[in-house]
Amino acid sequence: MTGRRAAIVEGWPIFVTAVVVGIAFGLTARQAGLSIVETSATSLIVFAGAAQFVMVDLLRNGTPVPLIVLTVLLLNARHLLMAAALRPFVQVASLPRRFGLAYVLTDEAFAMGIGWFRRGHRDLAYYAVFSTVLWCSWNVGTLLGAIFGAGVEDPQRFGIDFAITAVFVAIVAIGVRHRADAAVALVAALVAAALRLAGASAVAVVVAGALAPLVAFAMRDEQP
Amino acid sequence: MSVWLAIAASGVVTYLTRALPLVLTMPGSAPARLRRYLDALPTAIIAALAGAGIAVPDAHPTGGAEVLAALLALAVAAWRRNLLFAVIAGVAAVAALRAAGL
Repeated sequence: MTGRRAAIVEGWPIFVTAVVVGIAFGLTARQAGLSIVETSATSLIVFAGAAQFVMVDLLRNGTPVPLIVLTVLLLNARHLLMAAALRPFVQVASLPRRFGLAYVLTDEAFAMGIGWFRRGHRDLAYYAVFSTVLWCSWNVGTLLGAIFGAGVEDPQRFGIDFAITAVFVAIVAIGVRHRADAAVALVAALVAAALRLAGASAVAVVVAGALAPLVAFAMRDEQP
Repeated sequence: MSVWLAIAASGVVTYLTRALPLVLTMPGSAPARLRRYLDALPTAIIAALAGAGIAVPDAHPTGGAEVLAALLALAVAAWRRNLLFAVIAGVAAVAALRAAGL
């Protein structure tokens, strides 16, 4: 199977998920007060699922822009590692093509792309096709959610306002790989909750998020 | 205006994290401790968001509905490994618990 075809055959469940979660993002962003254009621009320009939910949540809470950007930077700093791991395979591409491939780098594209390379393939078509289709799926979903999302009235009654928090809970629960992860997540959640209850809303997330990974060092004897 | 500033600046920093390692040559690899810290960061930040959102869902401290719904979402996510199922369970639970007066 060619890389192009394999990317579609293996990737379609992820594309469907991206459309559905994209709809959820569009809906959430509209409920938080963003316009349709702002909502779509977020998906077009930032194109980072979790970070976009974070941005909308922080914007809704009136967090100052520098703190929002700092939180997004910390959250997406993991791309540095993924891009570094992809570099040996991407090196063959021209510089402009590398700029393009970087733009569509996501957790999913990294996981699927590395999976293709680990099977001994060296062509970039798999990564390029998968990540581009994923980008389209996410943006189509966002636009659909943004257009139809504003029609939901009284979102609290249906628990719609809680969807974003439930997304975060689920991402953490699915992403935890070992005990150190679980400990980091628990500490981060408790510190952030305590800070927000104490009234330090603006810095709660960035402080708890930046400090909690230190817990992993205390548990360094345990390997994943 | 601040929305557009947040979108543009977030887009720039996100793109830099994706592009720099692909276009720059870095001497050696990152120290193990830094790698470990960066590895744990996403989990920490997303968990912090969850904790903050559960504790103070809407400008007021939670009455308990959000805590129970979050635990249910956590259980469903750990069991089914499916984001969508977990979110649906959490949203349905919080709506039911709020209706019940929590």
